[in-house]
Amino acid sequence: MTPLEILVAAIHGNPAPRIPVFCNLLDQGARELGMTQQEYYARGEHVAEGQLRMRARYGYDNLWSLFYVGKEAELLGSRDVLYADNGSPNVANFVIKEWDDIAKLEVPDDITRHPAWVETGNCLSILQREAGATHPICAYLTASTSMPALLMGMESWLQLLMTGPVDLRDELLRKCSDLFRKEVAAYRAAGVHVLVYSTPFGTPSFVGMKRFKSFSMPWMKRDLEPGGVEGIVYYAGMAPFNAVIRQVLEELAIGAYYISPMDSLAEAKAIIGNRGLTCGVIDDIRMIHWTPEETRAEVRRLCEIGKVGGRFLFGTGVMPMAIPEANIHAMLDAAFAQGGYA
Amino acid sequence: MLDDIIQSYNEAVFETDRMAALNVVDRALAQGVTAEEVVFKVVIPAIETMMSLIASDPDANLAQHFMTSQIAVEVTEKMLPKFRNSPEVVGRVVIGTAHGDLHSLGKRIVMGCLKAMMVEVVDLGVNVSAEHFIDEAVRLDAQVIGISAMMVHTAMGEEGCRKVRARLQERGLTDRIKLVVGGAPYRFDPNLYQAVGADAWAEDGINAAKVIIELIREVKRHDTP
Ligand code: B12
Repeated sequence: MTPLEILVAAIHGNPAPRIPVFCNLLDQGARELGMTQQEYYARGEHVAEGQLRMRARYGYDNLWSLFYVGKEAELLGSRDVLYADNGSPNVANFVIKEWDDIAKLEVPDDITRHPAWVETGNCLSILQREAGATHPICAYLTASTSMPALLMGMESWLQLLMTGPVDLRDELLRKCSDLFRKEVAAYRAAGVHVLVYSTPFGTPSFVGMKRFKSFSMPWMKRDLEPGGVEGIVYYAGMAPFNAVIRQVLEELAIGAYYISPMDSLAEAKAIIGNRGLTCGVIDDIRMIHWTPEETRAEVRRLCEIGKVGGRFLFGTGVMPMAIPEANIHAMLDAAFAQGGYA
Repeated sequence: MLDDIIQSYNEAVFETDRMAALNVVDRALAQGVTAEEVVFKVVIPAIETMMSLIASDPDANLAQHFMTSQIAVEVTEKMLPKFRNSPEVVGRVVIGTAHGDLHSLGKRIVMGCLKAMMVEVVDLGVNVSAEHFIDEAVRLDAQVIGISAMMVHTAMGEEGCRKVRARLQERGLTDRIKLVVGGAPYRFDPNLYQAVGADAWAEDGINAAKVIIELIREVKRHDTP
């Protein structure tokens, strides 16, 4: 079976030789091509080439079309980026500096013609051509309720959310949600298989249960309604969200959950059962200091909990560049060995 | 009467209801409670109460941490000018985000809690170099340097905490200035602070204030033979 078929089997709970194994090596692509991050991220063909080579070198299943998370804000006018050669680029200048700027924010009519999309589009078409028939291609999309963090910074966003005028907050969120709807449609049209829905504000650990119900849930419905939830993965930037899985399953019918290493995988698996795909995620920050043996042991632990009854995927967070190569190999070897059903 | 006020204030903070908390304070002042009592008997104990409530509440969340700190600092700043004698300051901290890091929310929450607990805080901003951390700490005679980092490369990188530690050693300042770190990577790996040479870390703003106050006391004990 191809990695894509293995993923589809896991989603539907059908038999397969092993579980899907996802690994997210984003910034490592620049190192692989011997480029600075700035050079690497300037062109979609670099990112595609970097991702294809990383996948070939390590043998995991997925391919990323994500450059860096801040890139999404460029569709709404963000420009300055702070590059680092040992980690991810960051938004360096916020589009919304004061509340008045919210009114000026414009969602492009056709995002695929926006200059900030062009290189993503190039990357996608290369990935699609080279591996789209055999390997799952992933895209990353920020939920409306988390997007303001990239446009105005977390500090100002929490300030507005918790103490600001509701109509202004909603005006901003409507724009972010409109952008989301356009992006998700564009990624689907480009043949993306896995749509990682990044929603840290869709967790009780950010807003608490009451606000989750009254605030996060309605906005998530608005984000997802027109396009549906096919291919969507619930992801909260590694923040815990077990406490709301049941509600998300019932109200949004999302089919896949990327569980925080800070949450109990066994609990998540028990809640999701055969209603969706449980993704067991390794703590890749602790992995920096683990030995290969410790890394293997953790993979084994996660797979033993998760693969019972099928519908399980093994995955990582945004793998820091400081993780030793030996641990990446140890992790993947163990995932392939432990993830078999034999 | 004070018990009532304390209870209503705690409830308002727990519910992240800023207006309600501010109203409780106004009511207290109108009833003759002093500004000193508001800070030392209501605001500071509320931070400590929140710490235990949040620790035991499965629904504890970022919004609560943010608002606890926000409300505490707002009330304290309003009360200070009303104090009859200027309050005794616990000590002084310089704080900033690590070199290469622009994420300022964690730092802000920590600062709010520190200010409310009568620690003087000097904000060095974001993307702060190791040299600047030390120069400012020396110049301002601070007992503690606080470094916030949201990403692994800024928490662990050569230009961040590690370099601050190296410079403190070179300049023979390790007993005079303590180094404390915080931010997402330290929460995922609770041993990370040692690997980068920090004296301590804390997982949220409320605990940060507690840890920092302990370090200030340690430095001061060392200073007074
Ligand atoms: C929300 C979030 C986002 C949001 C908002 C980001 C933003 N602008 O702030 C979005 C979705 C946009 C995002 C994007 C990214 N993120 Co993010 N994100 C998170 C998440 C879920 C929470 C971070 C947060 O804001 N917490 C709230 C604040 C208040 O908490 P805090 O900073 O930890 O501060 C508290 C304590 O740590 C402590 N503290 C903080 N500072 C200090 C200082 C001292 C002295 C002390 C004592 C204590 C202390 O007190 C604070 C208050 O309680 C974390 C994972 C997690 N669960 O923590 C990942 C995480 C931080 N993100 C991560 C990454 C990599 C990114 C990106 C770089 C990804 C990319 N490749 O582009 C981008 C960067 C975007 C940009 N800025 O350009 C990684 C970082 C680790 C790593 N691999 O390097 C994390 C850990 C997720 C992971 N495990 O993979 N992210």
